[in-house]
Amino acid sequence: MLLIRRSPRAANAVRTVSPGGELFVASVVICMILASFGDAIDPMVFGEAGLEFALFDLGGEFSVLAMRHWHLLQLLLAGGVLAAGIFVLRIGSRAVFKTLRPAPHRAIDKVPI
Amino acid sequence: MELEFFSAAFLSALFAIVLIDLVLAGDNALVIGLVARNLPKQTQNKVIFWGTFGAIAIRAAMAILVVYILAVPGFMLGGGLALVWIARKLLTPEQNAEASHLAKAPAATFAGAVRTIVIADAIMGVDNVLAIGGAAHGSILLIVLGLAISVPIIVWGSQLVIKLVDRYPSVILLGGAVLAWTAYSMVVREPLLVAWFEAHPATKLVTAILIFSISLGPWYSERLSENMKPLVVLLPALLVWMLAFEVAASVLKVQVDYLLARDQGEYMLEGLRWLGWLPLAAAFLWLRELMVGRTRRIARS
Repeated sequence: MLLIRRSPRAANAVRTVSPGGELFVASVVICMILASFGDAIDPMVFGEAGLEFALFDLGGEFSVLAMRHWHLLQLLLAGGVLAAGIFVLRIGSRAVFKTLRPAPHRAIDKVPI
Repeated sequence: MELEFFSAAFLSALFAIVLIDLVLAGDNALVIGLVARNLPKQTQNKVIFWGTFGAIAIRAAMAILVVYILAVPGFMLGGGLALVWIARKLLTPEQNAEASHLAKAPAATFAGAVRTIVIADAIMGVDNVLAIGGAAHGSILLIVLGLAISVPIIVWGSQLVIKLVDRYPSVILLGGAVLAWTAYSMVVREPLLVAWFEAHPATKLVTAILIFSISLGPWYSERLSENMKPLVVLLPALLVWMLAFEVAASVLKVQVDYLLARDQGEYMLEGLRWLGWLPLAAAFLWLRELMVGRTRRIARS
């Protein structure tokens, strides 16, 4: 029996995990897959396909091609940054969409124009 | 391979070893309690000390042995595949976790108790040792350092580990992801396959996605609706299908890239590669539907 199974919450982790924690791990996994993509892709292919701009102008050289050399801690940090970015984006987009939604006609806080 | 002390690679490998050690740690306290429960109080303390000492010593010896075994061609690939299974098992929700069957009978003598504890730890720690052997990149120093950090936490601070995973259950998912990443790095480091991966770089990405989809599949399939669950089988199966064609092309010396195909047979092979999986997927879905229907009928009657 694994030690972690002694915790009832951890034994049932798939149902008790926090959305934030799961988002962080999903971001780390995305970074790991991007690192393997950087390991797999040949920069010459970008040139042949006429996509050099993706490498040099859009930062592909810094991110995807460099990620092949990243270690676990760097991938964890990048995953954390990506998760924070997605989280902020989610809050921002929710605020924008809330503002765009018209208030009901008879709402108390409806400003008469 | 010796990593530079305190470099990013060294600290990353150390972090991976400690995390793997914590999530795959066996419940030693439970085993010791079960084995030593019928012994006199004074002997119990001696059993706890020598049992723990023996367990740590056998764990360190096994981990160092694994580093040398993994250097033998073929074992790195086998170890990587085993790690995928271990990650999958870690992330599969357990309906009713049972206590270890390795130490149900209490021991009558001091030597018998210590022997049972050491054997139980050695059997429970095989997956753990394999994983840290893979994560250590061949460095004995890393293994010793990792065990020196994590074993005292597991043995004397097991409540701390339980509190950590109780507060942050995502540590288990992170442990599964790190195991999958270690499995991927072991598979692509396999000496027999290094040249093949260099010649077919795109297969590295396919292998990574395949390993992650198999390892993390049980976790995410819990979230999917009944209609979407076959995806957990279909996606890895499709990747295996594509990889199999790449392997077959290398072994049988045929061309599976339609831009480079030379005769009708190779064009047909290319067609089979891109469309041949469709009838198989349809057959799988049909059979699954039949099985689900039969199970429902049996449950109703």
